[in-house]
Amino acid sequence: MRRGIGAVGALLVVLAGLTVGTVPQQAGASPAEPVHRAAAKKDGFTETKTLTRQFVQPDGSTYSFPSHTVTVTADQTENLRGRQRIHITWKGAQPSGGRASNPYGENGLNQEYPVVIMQCRGTDDPSLPVAKQLRPQTCWTASVAQRSQITRSESEAAWTADLDAAPEDKERVSGVDPFPTAEECPTADIAPYYTRLTPFVAANGTTYPACDADHMPPEAAVGAAFPPSELAAFTDTDGTGSVQFEVRSDVENESLGCNTKTACSIVVIPIAGLSCDRPADPMSRADQACRKGGRFTPGSSNFANDGVDQAVSPALWWSASNWKNRFSIPITFGLPPDACDVLDPRAPTGFYGSELLAQAALQWSPAYCLRKDRFKFQLNQISDEAGWNNMEAGIGVAAEVSSEHDRRGTDPVGYAPTAVTGFSIGYQIDKPDNAGEFTNLRLNARLILKLLSQSYVGSDLGRGHPGMVHNPVAIMNDPEFVALNPGLSEISQEVGATVLSLSNSSDVIQQLTDYITQDRDAVDFLHGKKDPWGMVINPEYENLDLPVALWPLLDSYIPETESDCRQKNPSVYFNDLAAPVTTMRKIAEALLDAWPNVQTRCDFDPSTGLYKLGRIDRQSFGSRFMLGIVSLGDAARYGLRSAALETKPGRYVAPNDRSLGAAVALGRQSAKYQPFAIDQADLRKAGNAYPGAMIVYTAARLQNLPQEDADKVADFIRIATTEGQRRGSGNGELPEGFLPIEKKGVTAELYDSAQDVADAIEAQQEPKSHPTDGPSDDTGSGDGVDSPVTPIDPPADPEPSTGQDPSATPSVPPAATPMPATEPVGSTLAGGLLPMLILLGAIGCVVATALRLTLPVLRRRG
Amino acid sequence: MTTTVSKPAETPRRTRGTKPRAAQQRAPRPRATPKRTVPPRPPTQADNAAAVLSSAFTMVAIVCLWMTAQLLFLGSVSQHRAQDLLYDELRYVLAGPPDKSPPLGPIVPVGDPVALLTIPEIGLEQVVVEGTASGDTLVGPGHRRDTPLPGQVGTSVVYGRSATYGAPFADLPDLQAGDTFQVTGAQGRTTFTVIGVRRAGDPLPQPVAEGDARLTMVTSEGGGRLGAITPDSVVYVDADAKKAFPAPPGRPTAVPQSEKAMAADPGALPLLALCLAGLLALTLGVVAARQRWSTVLVWVIASPLVIALSWASTDVVMRLLPNLI
Repeated sequence: MRRGIGAVGALLVVLAGLTVGTVPQQAGASPAEPVHRAAAKKDGFTETKTLTRQFVQPDGSTYSFPSHTVTVTADQTENLRGRQRIHITWKGAQPSGGRASNPYGENGLNQEYPVVIMQCRGTDDPSLPVAKQLRPQTCWTASVAQRSQITRSESEAAWTADLDAAPEDKERVSGVDPFPTAEECPTADIAPYYTRLTPFVAANGTTYPACDADHMPPEAAVGAAFPPSELAAFTDTDGTGSVQFEVRSDVENESLGCNTKTACSIVVIPIAGLSCDRPADPMSRADQACRKGGRFTPGSSNFANDGVDQAVSPALWWSASNWKNRFSIPITFGLPPDACDVLDPRAPTGFYGSELLAQAALQWSPAYCLRKDRFKFQLNQISDEAGWNNMEAGIGVAAEVSSEHDRRGTDPVGYAPTAVTGFSIGYQIDKPDNAGEFTNLRLNARLILKLLSQSYVGSDLGRGHPGMVHNPVAIMNDPEFVALNPGLSEISQEVGATVLSLSNSSDVIQQLTDYITQDRDAVDFLHGKKDPWGMVINPEYENLDLPVALWPLLDSYIPETESDCRQKNPSVYFNDLAAPVTTMRKIAEALLDAWPNVQTRCDFDPSTGLYKLGRIDRQSFGSRFMLGIVSLGDAARYGLRSAALETKPGRYVAPNDRSLGAAVALGRQSAKYQPFAIDQADLRKAGNAYPGAMIVYTAARLQNLPQEDADKVADFIRIATTEGQRRGSGNGELPEGFLPIEKKGVTAELYDSAQDVADAIEAQQEPKSHPTDGPSDDTGSGDGVDSPVTPIDPPADPEPSTGQDPSATPSVPPAATPMPATEPVGSTLAGGLLPMLILLGAIGCVVATALRLTLPVLRRRG
Repeated sequence: MTTTVSKPAETPRRTRGTKPRAAQQRAPRPRATPKRTVPPRPPTQADNAAAVLSSAFTMVAIVCLWMTAQLLFLGSVSQHRAQDLLYDELRYVLAGPPDKSPPLGPIVPVGDPVALLTIPEIGLEQVVVEGTASGDTLVGPGHRRDTPLPGQVGTSVVYGRSATYGAPFADLPDLQAGDTFQVTGAQGRTTFTVIGVRRAGDPLPQPVAEGDARLTMVTSEGGGRLGAITPDSVVYVDADAKKAFPAPPGRPTAVPQSEKAMAADPGALPLLALCLAGLLALTLGVVAARQRWSTVLVWVIASPLVIALSWASTDVVMRLLPNLI
């Protein structure tokens, strides 16, 4: 990083984010307002340029087309992280034509007048050495076709007539000097065809000539791990456009090699058409090609992927007259996630728990590990319950949880509010007819319940499920959903039958299901009542006891089909559809890639000769539809959209500062050091509060935490609730997707409580009477008791006394310590057994003898 | 067991009524003749009911009395034998044989002898075994697995029975403060001095001093006239030793519920089902054999089997009962 470690402190002060709409937009009643606030210094980029296409006429005069004054803005440019999406908008550009359904990578080549956006290494500063400068050779493309023109006929060699091109670039073969040999690139130099190579220079200095797919960097291989991020975006007829551009760090793309030390840029090239040189006489075919102006009308689509006029296509972005029109947005990358492991050799102090805090921890941890006077903070993301158990068992110093948990040990636990964030139903939905992304999804509790309870049949395979014959195939066919979100495609997809959720126990699921139980319609539906359109719940989930922290997969329906593959791989169809995952990060990435985790693809593997089930393909652009439960932090980082959830009937609230604040204001603390419970019933009453708002607490023991650890936890709480609540993208700052906890306003109570808990944790002296917790030196108290285990009191033996009597042995000098009394342990079974046996035996003897004696009497009488 | 013991009660009726062929073959038997003098008459309902009731009560009586006998008397026979074997085994492992490591902790296999407890005041000499589940304390006092071994630094806990299966700890509450006794373990002999007997409500003893050993012996006792056979509450005897052997780290930090005081071991239920199934099979075998061979022959062969199976079943039942009685 250019700043260096010494400047980290300064960084903590402020680097803020002015962003537009990367974060969930409000839908419905409340106005849009993203979860963040502009701060003192402006992060972002704006630049305006005037672009003009010029032709030099045969007579030497210059003809200029009307100019376009283009303004490009980007919302965030500082401290970006791998895969983060930034919002780039522009206005004043030439309207595009021939819109492709998928603008990414080579799929976007057949468009006219698009805006090419790509990530390049280096910055646009002529004073820098060439190696650090931005050049077409350092711009990333995922395919050869995007950067090289190979063996083109003259009518497809418009670049050779480029007005601004240097003479050597107008040759028949150009771009690399010396040009690759025929052995290396056999297809490159074939007279009389024209070839132009734009090699790629990797971060380590390797040059890839880019003359065919074999001479491209490894990350550009077919089927690479990440889909292309560079795109040729569409400008609407009013000259505006916007995209969410995903940046790649060297973790995702080593050849491109952008990281905290290597500066990079995002290059935005509005294609205005090549400027053309004075033509030959008669005009050559290249001259004619250069002068073409497009065959598609502005705003039209190019579904058939027809060819376009090269002079106005994105393929020649590197050509001099296009390249000079570039806007280069300098970006800097934040420290990678493993920075602390690399830079700080100290042992980390593990905090365990909630993934909701992941994005904040990513920015917070360098603020600890890079400072000698602080400890090394590490957040280990595991389920809330497991984190809590680790904290109680002393494996972790503290837990990050977002609800109250049952105490199993004897030590009191304090909850310090550390962050206000939450979860959302993230989505990625395209409007039909190539009209772009859908941006204001609205959902209610019953729709969420329908998705979670696997009540949509998914496809014909699920239609045979007993009791669900009349249910819609997927949510897009559900009249309730259609009424709420009009204008979407109703072509059903399997993924529309599910919302990608978590497979493990989580406070998020607890809160989501709690939200469902507060909705009367949803509860009726849960208990088997039909919705107004005749849909019923999956019988397997009927009367499920909600809320739950772990959503169960209860269905067991295996479809009967003719398909050979499915007969060989019988599996529970609805579970294949749901296929929950273990972390919300995975859900966020699935949404980012529009790659549902639906595991219903069934195909034949020729190498093994077996059939197998697997994940379906990535969704194609233009028909994407996917829902998933994501954290607000991830949603903000990756630019995912969040659905607005119904609170009062007809009122839909999306996550933003105001709705999170309204939810926090409803929090009630039952006692000192305890969490602030947000009651979903109150929340529905209030109407303006976001139901997915959650407060993440740092929970730590108030007793028996080693003092060293206690100090660290207290420090963490104090730092996290003060400097950790300043918004920004720098180290130690609070990322977007979080509502800052401040001394004043709705979060004042949280702030005060956090300080109190920090003091109590540091003091480690909550009123104590238990001697059981003596130091557990392995010679001392012989017992299994200083590990906090509550007796489950079996009827036969209230056990704790055995626990206590041997354990009452803290290694203190025997100075008449007041000792507790021995607890009674007894068993009525033990006491009564022998007398009862003897008594029963005696009765048996007597009665049997008596009967034996009376038998002959009876017989005689009978 | 239940089915077997009902057999003798049913026997006469069967020979008379349902087995005419067998009876005719053995017609010369004198016993059968006088009975025939009464004219045979179909048994009335009352007869049947009385016969069934009689059998049932006989059965109950035999089950209960057998169990009582085994708990109080037969069990002590097996416990004494087990102690003899354990004593030999302990002697062997303490001698440091090449093929077996002496019990030093932290983990000793459950059921292995770990120490010899000698309390001359109450005439007790018992080999302490590892583990405190009901099944472990059948053979002798059991050492709780999450505590150091007796004689090692720290507080060790030993559980013993007070009423059944030899009742090794029956006289434990008679000990008085100041009494001394010895524990011989793999590391050597330790002499403990009794601090006192402790019952519910008494304060716990002062924490054990650094580097000392404490032995807490736990058993049950009853009150009143039938105190000896109604052990319903837990009693503790604490003893300290100034000299202690080092305890290796790495003990378990907790024991299962079934190894705590007065706990039973429900894990024995499947085994019990197996034993009962064995008894049932034996019963059916006896019924089948009776059709072919004489009663005497069948019972000569079946009796040892019945006793052995009953004995084993009762041992299993004991595991379902609290571990301190």
